[in-house]
Amino acid sequence: MQVEAYAGEEMVLNMGPQHPSTHGVLRLELETDGEIVRKVIPHIGYLHRCFEKHAENIDYPGVIPFCDRMDYIASMNNSLGYALAVEKLMGLEVNERVKTLRVLMAELNRVASHLLSIGTYAMDIGSFTPFLHCFREREKVLDLFEWLCGARLLYNYNWVGGVSHDIPEGFEAKTREFVTQFEPVIAELDKLLSYNKIFLERTADVGIISEEQALSHNVTGPNLRGSGIGWDLRKEEPYCGYETYDFEVPVGLGEHGPLGSCWDRYYVRVREMEQSLGLIRQALERLPEGDVHEHIPRRVRPAKSEVYDRTETPRGELGYYLVSDGGLIPFRVKVKSPCFTVLSLLPAIAKGGMVADIIAIIGSIDIVMGEIDR
Amino acid sequence: MKRYFRDIFQSVWTVLQGMKITGAHLFTRSCTLQYPSVKWELPERSRMRLFNKIEDCIGCGQCVRACPVDCIYMTTERRAKEEPPIFAADGTPIKLRVTQFDIDMSLCCYCNLCTYPCPTHCLVMTPEYEFAVQAKQDFLYRFAKDEPQAPPKPAPSPRPARAR
Repeated sequence: MQVEAYAGEEMVLNMGPQHPSTHGVLRLELETDGEIVRKVIPHIGYLHRCFEKHAENIDYPGVIPFCDRMDYIASMNNSLGYALAVEKLMGLEVNERVKTLRVLMAELNRVASHLLSIGTYAMDIGSFTPFLHCFREREKVLDLFEWLCGARLLYNYNWVGGVSHDIPEGFEAKTREFVTQFEPVIAELDKLLSYNKIFLERTADVGIISEEQALSHNVTGPNLRGSGIGWDLRKEEPYCGYETYDFEVPVGLGEHGPLGSCWDRYYVRVREMEQSLGLIRQALERLPEGDVHEHIPRRVRPAKSEVYDRTETPRGELGYYLVSDGGLIPFRVKVKSPCFTVLSLLPAIAKGGMVADIIAIIGSIDIVMGEIDR
Repeated sequence: MKRYFRDIFQSVWTVLQGMKITGAHLFTRSCTLQYPSVKWELPERSRMRLFNKIEDCIGCGQCVRACPVDCIYMTTERRAKEEPPIFAADGTPIKLRVTQFDIDMSLCCYCNLCTYPCPTHCLVMTPEYEFAVQAKQDFLYRFAKDEPQAPPKPAPSPRPARAR
């Protein structure tokens, strides 16, 4: 038989749902021509837990543990979005201490989330050491959270009208200690991974999301900023008093290879951690006095209305659309997930690349399947 | 050709730099613990196993309403007037006899929403985390000690079997 007979024959390859580098249970159906990927079809829904239907059957505060379980890596940010939406629905205003504590916890969790994303990304690419370094640091943040509210991953911390616990004695000093010792770790990470030649070759010219593509697919968060668009809800639509903090929005610069590559998205996360540390410092400095349980209502019963509220989580814009019929349980809770929109772009950016590049792209867009399938 | 060798040189060089950092970490203290023999000391607020001090429970049922996964089952009956008055540790009079207070720990999502509304603070989450069991039904913790006093209501008569 002639060798030419095989030329152009495509093979369908199933990647996942239990693949170590698909970050959860994502199944990708690849049509490959040798090593080249002709088509990618993501299949989602393996982690569907009926969040939205659940939320229609429990009272407003009871939804918060389920919100935590959507994006289980950044629970603080998820429940913050929901709590803010319900507060907006009720017209509730919280005191300054609660706002500052929420910013503090959201930024601490952003650091933890980015550390996990960077660490697992390094492991996908094939370098194991940064993963261990990142997890060692993340552990310190989780210890702080465990000290604060007793849970390490699913905090149930941001309640409607307040937070569940005030900070324990000595928490500020310990957090300051963490921030101080964590800053050199970022520099170390740069040396260890960011400017590593092999890492650069694997990521700097791969998975390019152009500005138009990013905007047309509603890509948000670090993925959008990696494409050079400095859109951050903390700046554009401030909540929890973010407008009073001094921080920058890092964008991709295309230092190595074209703008919007996997490396740009990765590096935006590294620099966002630096900004988060600055925010944590500022929040600790200004922490006002107050009672964190002051505004928690005995019964959460909003008037008949609807609201859409969005916040900036480590993965992008997370929106909650709430409809209330005046009862004790929500009539409808719809979630706009940032990971879902960026995954919809995957077929376009992975087309024509190598199979190994798919791993690099999935790691760089930093998806959490719990949030996509809900 | 020149680029080829430059790439190889840069790769080796940056990897060596990384190895230098890794090598330096070889002489730092280990941050892990040999778990079963040594254990971390958990903070006071740790949310692990639920515990109910049934002597203080007034049977108000607020925890049952707060639980988002419905893993607490409670049955109460009114104490008779002639019975001697009893009080919880904080002085709240106990007017209901809790004849069933079961928590299915295999359903619990450790959210802490049940302990917050408890008026006598008898339902708490303890820092105890080693409570694996062999059978699933052993996760159903029965806290209630009182037996129901009133005669149980007669069970509804079963429906007549359908004619075949």
